[in-house]
Amino acid sequence: MWRAEVDGLRLRFHLAGINDQNFLMRDEETGSFWQQITGAAVSGPLAGRHLTLVASDELTFATWKAEEPQGTVLHERAADISLYSKKDWDVRMLRAPTVISYPESGLPPRELMIGLHGFGASRAFPLAALLRDKVIQDHLGSEPVLLVLGADGHSVRVFHRRIPGASSTPDFYRVLAGQTASPAALLMDSVDGSEWNFQGCAVSGKATGVCLERVESIKDYWFDWRHFNPATTVFRAKQN
Amino acid sequence: MKTIAPGRRLLLYLVPCLLASFVLLVYPVYVIRPFRAQGVRELGVALAVTRYRAPIMLALAAAAFAALAWYWRRERRWFRRTAATVAALAVAGIGLASRINIYELMFHPLGPPDFMAAGQSKLDGDEMVISIRVGAVARAYPIRNISYYHIVNDLVDGVPIVATY
Repeated sequence: MWRAEVDGLRLRFHLAGINDQNFLMRDEETGSFWQQITGAAVSGPLAGRHLTLVASDELTFATWKAEEPQGTVLHERAADISLYSKKDWDVRMLRAPTVISYPESGLPPRELMIGLHGFGASRAFPLAALLRDKVIQDHLGSEPVLLVLGADGHSVRVFHRRIPGASSTPDFYRVLAGQTASPAALLMDSVDGSEWNFQGCAVSGKATGVCLERVESIKDYWFDWRHFNPATTVFRAKQN
Repeated sequence: MKTIAPGRRLLLYLVPCLLASFVLLVYPVYVIRPFRAQGVRELGVALAVTRYRAPIMLALAAAAFAALAWYWRRERRWFRRTAATVAALAVAGIGLASRINIYELMFHPLGPPDFMAAGQSKLDGDEMVISIRVGAVARAYPIRNISYYHIVNDLVDGVPIVATY
């Protein structure tokens, strides 16, 4: 999700090509070509410029609706409904061929990853590891980060694992539904036992009202993430 | 000194025009095609060709028709005139074809998008959406919809954004 604007000029994009299985966009206003995953202009008058990332989430509709009851949803276009992807489109995509792979990584090209880019580093986390462990505590560069799976079992959010105002770096633990002070609680921290919800905000305990800083993440196939983030490292889950 | 026959002279003009037009049309299509790894340099060249070829192809078509006009004044046989005309039209046709981007023909960005209240949506609870909040406005883009369009140009609380998938 990008801010479609450069130096005050609004840009309108078309899908205009493909580069190593990631699509290229062309803006109507200058004719520049942009790489979808990086937001970088790769050819044209704006070559070298970057679009600004707009914070976004990939959530289930139920989770989003609970958080944003006043929000609006993109309306289906009646003429196109039969052309929309099937509900299991992501499973079908896992079988699609790729022209790029990184076998030395030990990861299949279409392994779904949570990709993070920030604090001067790139790091990818296998989605399967998060689905299994529900919470992953790790580092992005030198900064501690926290990956959390929503209560719906599908939604993912990533946070900077530092509590504003606290000197130590906390650990977070998943809490069981029905055994928390707040029904919205999903996590508990190791500093003073405050409870935190999926939005990264403390909902009970001493830290109530404090929110963790969000870290932007993208769900992407391994080959795509690795190709456009060549310096990325990979999180390797400890096997139980 | 031996003079060159009008037919051969015409070929000297038309064949390069045809070949150049054909290369300008086909090279980007060859490089920027699915299920192929694109090299950085060849992609750069293919995109540059895409951006700059229109005036070149116009010049090639103009040259082809100028050669055709010259040829018509010297050649009276209709078969040869017709063949030369077809060749010149081919140069122009290739130029017109190069104005079509196959990807833009196949994939239409959705715009302007329509939205409905979250409470009125019939989406299943487990459908995945890309969500954003800009200022006072929260929006959700169902992935099954935008994975068809791939690009949604939108204006959210006055901020232009492009949702991609």
